[in-house]
Amino acid sequence: MFKIVVLVKAVPDPKRASEIKIDPRTKTLTRADVPLVMNQLDKHAMEAALELKTQVGGEITAISMGPPPAAAILKECLAMGADHGVLLSDRAFGGADAYATAYTLAKGVEKIGSADLILCGMASSDGSTEWVGPELSVFLDLPVVTGVKEIAGSSEQWWQVKAHIDNGYRELKVKLPAVMAVTRELNTPRNISFSGIIKARKKEITIWDFDALGVPKSSLGLAGSPTIISDLRVSESKREVEMIEGTREEKAEILVQKLADAGLF
Amino acid sequence: MGESTGPVWVFAEQSDGCVLPVSLEIIGQARKLADELGTSLEVIFLGDAIHENAQILFNAGADKVLLGEHPDLKYYQPERYMHIIVKLAQKYQPEIFLLGSTATGKELAPLVAAKLETGLTAHCIDLALDQEKRLEQIIPAYGGLISIVCPEKRPQMATIAKGVFSKPDTSEAKQGELVLLEIANEQDQRIELLEVVCEEEDGVPLESATIVVAGGAGAKDLEGWQQIVDLADEMGAALGSTRPPVDEGWIEIDRMIGQSGKMVAPELYIGVGLSGELQHMVGITGAKLLVAVNCEPKAPVFEQVDYGIVDDCREFLPVLIEKIKASKAEKV
Amino acid sequence: MIDFTFTEEQDLFRKAAREFSETKVVPKIGEMEESGQVNMDVVKALGEAEMMAITIPEEYGGLGLGYSARLIALEEIAKDSCAVAMMLQVFALGNEPIIKFGSDEQKKKYLPGLASGERLATVGVTEPTGGSDPSGGRTVYKKDGDDYIINGRKCFITNSHIADTITVLAKDDENPKAFSTFIVEKGMAGFKPSHEEHKIGMRGCNTGELTFENCRVPKENLLGVEGKGMRVAMSAIGDVGRGGMVGCSLGVLNACLEEALKFANERILYGKPIIKLPAIQDKIAEMKLDLEIGRLLGYRAAALQDQGVRCDTEFAMAKFHTAESAQKAAKMTADIHGGYGCMNEFAITRYLRDAFVLGPSAGTSDIMRIIIARSAM
Repeated sequence: MFKIVVLVKAVPDPKRASEIKIDPRTKTLTRADVPLVMNQLDKHAMEAALELKTQVGGEITAISMGPPPAAAILKECLAMGADHGVLLSDRAFGGADAYATAYTLAKGVEKIGSADLILCGMASSDGSTEWVGPELSVFLDLPVVTGVKEIAGSSEQWWQVKAHIDNGYRELKVKLPAVMAVTRELNTPRNISFSGIIKARKKEITIWDFDALGVPKSSLGLAGSPTIISDLRVSESKREVEMIEGTREEKAEILVQKLADAGLF
Repeated sequence: MGESTGPVWVFAEQSDGCVLPVSLEIIGQARKLADELGTSLEVIFLGDAIHENAQILFNAGADKVLLGEHPDLKYYQPERYMHIIVKLAQKYQPEIFLLGSTATGKELAPLVAAKLETGLTAHCIDLALDQEKRLEQIIPAYGGLISIVCPEKRPQMATIAKGVFSKPDTSEAKQGELVLLEIANEQDQRIELLEVVCEEEDGVPLESATIVVAGGAGAKDLEGWQQIVDLADEMGAALGSTRPPVDEGWIEIDRMIGQSGKMVAPELYIGVGLSGELQHMVGITGAKLLVAVNCEPKAPVFEQVDYGIVDDCREFLPVLIEKIKASKAEKV
Repeated sequence: MIDFTFTEEQDLFRKAAREFSETKVVPKIGEMEESGQVNMDVVKALGEAEMMAITIPEEYGGLGLGYSARLIALEEIAKDSCAVAMMLQVFALGNEPIIKFGSDEQKKKYLPGLASGERLATVGVTEPTGGSDPSGGRTVYKKDGDDYIINGRKCFITNSHIADTITVLAKDDENPKAFSTFIVEKGMAGFKPSHEEHKIGMRGCNTGELTFENCRVPKENLLGVEGKGMRVAMSAIGDVGRGGMVGCSLGVLNACLEEALKFANERILYGKPIIKLPAIQDKIAEMKLDLEIGRLLGYRAAALQDQGVRCDTEFAMAKFHTAESAQKAAKMTADIHGGYGCMNEFAITRYLRDAFVLGPSAGTSDIMRIIIARSAM
């Protein structure tokens, strides 16, 4: 049976993410009460999985690493049509950088077992390293394609995809099992439906803590992260602003005059 | 330091054999790091028919170029490139390894980092050495700057976007050591490259533009966005954006300006309906004159520009466009 | 009772309704405001999103999710478009008499099509002489063999020109105290939607008149017991109709509060945004309080409805409070906007006009007061 695993991440709502700021005195982040939502690009990964399931049949497991509230994101995936949800949640996973995150997720994917295709969004709105897909592929010893914008076709074991490069795209054949990091161009994610929510009642979200993964604590979370934050500071601006005042007409005129004076047209 | 420090490495990316500008910019900065560390600067250069172009790498400041020339390597292939680099890294034990934040770099860097079990920071806007001679990898976040270090694992890896560092002077011919790598005949087993297709960029290219007009979430909808497009057209400017317009589908991601997008250094930058998020603003540090239009007087952008106008973009832009037309007409 | 939190599933319903509204309703608001007409793309999208199926039992093709889920969906949609929420709420209002009083054959015949959105429903009760007091209606029926013949005119009927299935209340022409309800179908001889209204608000939701001229209705279309039709009609309007108005009103109230906050945070007076002024904060506090009270009253009534417990007074209170509060909030928000509160480009003018139509729908505030007083006496 064709098994798809989708990596999803709960991120602070991007519409309100600017409310999270660095406190210059304590050098920590002031977390405003910003709600968590599913990372937008992961919805495209979920949609890709759902479309594939319609075409070739099979089973979808959504997996996320995060604190307990991240289970709500997995519930959404179940409502969209995923069959199972797995939440990797444990204090020991906290403080992870991209490397430790990818490592922990890889252990989770291994435990799920026999994945034919692993999908994830290209980047997350709150970190945007774009690392997790490729690093995961190394830990699982699988091929990876990032920037997937079109799935052009498939035969028994080889899948043909188009992936972004700077100024264009490359077309590739990938042997499954493989990891694919997808972009916005790939599809339009479906809305959650009411009947999807009803069907999700019978589906399960399993929670795995670090015991369940059976790896040493030193490989996870802050301890397992090769990089650490050494400093946080508020950036200082070096410009002196002149606010242009007046009626709308006046403001436009003054601006145009200043730009003309500066030789810009 | 007790033992001798491993070399500083830069991955030089090529297209049709030519070295990409971003790689030269990184070599320029890496030269300073290598000097400070008292170690050598070495460049990994893989491709086909690239032999002659190694000279430009020496001119930019490389002490050594590790050249892998083979028809198989003409285009980036993830498994091949990764295995070659990982083997070299295990042999030469670099202290630092830097790559450009290109589509290739963004995929290759994490593959290498994971294989070498080391740390990696994305989209740095600056690199320096801290007091313990560790690589300080600086990224913008949450309205400020975050410094990241990789205390134990080596190499310390980072990717940097084009335009962050300035291009070094490559006019003077310099000497360096050329090491020819032995590359076996071997294709990626699991990924087959069928075709590489180049697509011309629509509109005025961002990086070379004199004037850049950028729009943000304040456009509110496609109609509002069109006004910003009109302003850019009227001024002959390149059109850019922050992330929200890309997410909304009003503009392509390769027009996004900022930490994970493009860096621009125009004579004039006009930001319309954007709040001045650091992730975006680091993309325009090279701009000469900065102007912002936003309906919120408290928007952070107004602390980072030369001229600020508080107004509703939808109402203001048509008036501004009229005035620009009038001014141009006067000159004729 | 007493757990005042929504379940995880209800949060998901809200999310689904929000996503739907943002992607399918919001893009059409401009068109609806311009033309005042129902947008058939929106109707189709509502059907595809299973919005009409919420209160229809599963065995007849619905989702059987109940009235709390319905209120959640209406509230979310009304935050963007009161017109679309009104249209949707009246579909449910039209379905209800068949759900509650239909025979098994009638339910099998009509409900699946209504659940999928292929067929649209409404209720024909109100008349020029019988609105607040429906017993004043003059539409009559008489028996003719096995059939019934209906003559009369209904007015202020929401979805008048798009409905396929209409539950009509008529008086026995030989016995003015006896009322019956009939299922009238679009296309039946002698029945037609006639005059269409142009409303000040809720543009995009159609309201109009239904005319019956010797409209022949077969006996299979008698709904419930002959002579006991008033009960059928009122149970639908009472709970489902008023419940729907609560959803519409909460949405408008929410939208007004958000607009007020947005404007007050941007508008500068005396060097500070006006939200710092006590006078503005008073208004914000009042709107917020009204919103919380409205949600508590509304969701409690819906919870009772889901349990099958009588809740007509609870809905009367919720409808009265939310409709009045929405109108107050619209006025306060317009005041906060100053001169801009009169300009069409500002959303508040639409909320003002929509809020106006909330008042007389499904029972005026004065009638609600009578019902509430009676329950206390």
